[in-house]
Amino acid sequence: MSEVLHAAAVSADASRIAPKTVRMKSFGVGSKPTLLISLATAAALIALWWGITELAVVPRLFLPTPGEVLTQFNIVLREGYAGAFLGEHLSASLFRIVLAAVIAISLGIPLGLLMGLNRWAKGILDTPIEFYWPLPPLSYLPLMIIWLGIGETSKITLLVLAMFAPICLSAQAGVRSLPIERVNAARSLGASRFRLFLNIVLPTALPEILTGIRIALGVGWSTLVAAELIASNRGIGYMIMSASQFLATDVVFVGIAIIAACAFAFGAAVRLFERALVPWKGKS
Amino acid sequence: MLKVDHASVHFEADDGRIVHALDRVSLDIPDNGFVVALGASGCGKSTLLNAIAGFLPLSDGVITLNGKSVVGPGADRGVVFQKDTLLPWKNVIDNVALGLKFAGIPKLEQHRRSAELLKLVGLADFANAFPYELSGGMRQRVGIARALATEPDILLMDEPFGALDSLTREQMQELLVSVWKKTGKRVFFITHSVEEALFLGTQVIVMSPRPGRIVARFDLDFVNRFAESNDAREIKASPEFTNLREEIRALLHGAHDIRSAAE
Repeated sequence: MSEVLHAAAVSADASRIAPKTVRMKSFGVGSKPTLLISLATAAALIALWWGITELAVVPRLFLPTPGEVLTQFNIVLREGYAGAFLGEHLSASLFRIVLAAVIAISLGIPLGLLMGLNRWAKGILDTPIEFYWPLPPLSYLPLMIIWLGIGETSKITLLVLAMFAPICLSAQAGVRSLPIERVNAARSLGASRFRLFLNIVLPTALPEILTGIRIALGVGWSTLVAAELIASNRGIGYMIMSASQFLATDVVFVGIAIIAACAFAFGAAVRLFERALVPWKGKS
Repeated sequence: MLKVDHASVHFEADDGRIVHALDRVSLDIPDNGFVVALGASGCGKSTLLNAIAGFLPLSDGVITLNGKSVVGPGADRGVVFQKDTLLPWKNVIDNVALGLKFAGIPKLEQHRRSAELLKLVGLADFANAFPYELSGGMRQRVGIARALATEPDILLMDEPFGALDSLTREQMQELLVSVWKKTGKRVFFITHSVEEALFLGTQVIVMSPRPGRIVARFDLDFVNRFAESNDAREIKASPEFTNLREEIRALLHGAHDIRSAAE
């Protein structure tokens, strides 16, 4: 009885002063927040940039000040650059990326699923994919021009080729992640082959497929500048390339910032999709 | 009646040797029967269950359910696995309804029947929860409800409580007895716990490895006694229960010793 009373006294005591909470030390980063550190790093980098230009360590031609880049951004926004408005450059690039992504997704997902399910499909398609996938897009860019000309077709084909492989490979990995127990469970519940594919295989592969799409979009943006090297007169990549010919470093900076912002927005959009479509990811 | 008649399963191991996972095993599971297969790992009890479920073809022999030969899996045999196989993208009620969906039953009817089954396993309040929000014991209860939804002729359970803590495990055993009594399904249940086997089975078959075969059969009444008295601890502590438990333990260890000596 006295122990119970004692315990009550302790807890009453504890409620007055906030108790000291403890936690086991985790190894690695774990779930500790990093957002503030990242924001501080960004601020520090901009400050460093500003400091370097302010002290004139590097000639203005090579490294414009943050203020100049911002001014140039306003000018490009109002007057355009290299014969087209910023909106036209941006929409030309977005059109290429989105069209290429749509083609790469609608080819990559079915072929990847097929490769995960069928021995012949895997055997046949593995050879060309494993051959071309590690190649840098710039290396086969000349072939695209020779074979497909200098129009939109060669640009979009280059982007499709770059984006196809990660989507296809991830769809394949998604099928492979399917546990045999899940298949057996569905079959013992009377699932037909079609039902098994539609209701079990496809949703199981979905998280991997979405990861593949996220990687593919990243690859797409990094290939965009190469694609727009081919006789363009529109596009953010083209804008950067033509600015470099006039040593307009500030315009190059503007272009880079726009690509970075677009790539970030696309990544965030896919992440939102992931949260809506696969809320169970990492929880079971 | 489920009839296993001289069923044999031979595998080819990676090193090319032939493994006799199941050697001419015969077994009848009568209506309302609760047959428990007991044995150390490698004794062929999972092989037997996979063959009855239709996941595995037989090398020799036949399995018939109500006179019809078993070829491939089907909704007439409900399976509960050791690892939970719920679909993480579906909530509890849609997981239970999966077999009904495959059978083309309208959504409203799917949910009506699934809700009844959830009530049966004590999860009526969790219809809209997702599997990742449930404990291991609750997931297995969903698994049982899902296997029952297609109204199978037999429930096949492959060490369904093997991954649960001992307290949850005992609660699940008692729940399973009440489900079995209420639905009147045949059950074929696999375990390596002697106590679980004795408590649940109307018949316990003890299996031994290399080749996998049945070495002893016991007809039991503990489960019916529990259904009447509802006092599991008294039954498990009764001398009759503990004596038989020790006898079967000795039998299992004996089988193990013989195997070790042969190697």
